[in-house]
Amino acid sequence: MAVRIRLKRMGAHKAPFYRVVVSDSRSPRDGRFIEEIGTYNPVAQPAQVNIDEEKALKWLQTGAQASDTVRNLLSKAGVLKKFHELKQQK
Amino acid sequence: MKENEPDALARTTRINLLFDFYESLLTEKQRTILTYYYHDDFSLGEIASEFGISRQAVYDNIKRAEGALESYEEKLSLLEKHERLMRLADKLEQDVNAIVTNEWDKRSLIEAIGQFRAAEGTAKEGGESSWQHLKA
Repeated sequence: MAVRIRLKRMGAHKAPFYRVVVSDSRSPRDGRFIEEIGTYNPVAQPAQVNIDEEKALKWLQTGAQASDTVRNLLSKAGVLKKFHELKQQK
Repeated sequence: MKENEPDALARTTRINLLFDFYESLLTEKQRTILTYYYHDDFSLGEIASEFGISRQAVYDNIKRAEGALESYEEKLSLLEKHERLMRLADKLEQDVNAIVTNEWDKRSLIEAIGQFRAAEGTAKEGGESSWQHLKA
């Protein structure tokens, strides 16, 4: 069963704020998720990205697929680079 | 999608904001699909299989809905005005903090600015406090 890492929109009307969550690809939009691994606030100047690197790497290494937007965030936070380095060490 | 990576997040944020303003003007189907795509970050493929339509159909739907949102904004500029007001409120708050020395005056002015923000539909921190009610 595929595990995905996605953004989940939170925040007030007109003030988006996201959580980065790990969820089962087959549990559609009921809000359930396996674990929260970070947050992203695009409205703050500059935008705030907060990623629990350890958890993110753990999930990537176990084969979780990140969405395009999450890949973007992860590469911004330098997590993808670390992931690839770890992969090459093996 | 990979080529425009630096812009993907900004784009997501913009469409999300436009969606907040003009959601009620879209068709039911467009609203549903945009919610999956922009609020829940589902891929085109996942949405396609969720609704039993082709990936291409999902894509066309999203593009059309985005076009509609942008055209509403072009005509009504609600997002642009909202952002301008929010910047002004921030500036005002900074000025009050810097200039007003009487604590009592300061407090009532800051409170008034807070009411102004609330009237515009946004709490100061878009995060923590405001989504508590969603978790319940």
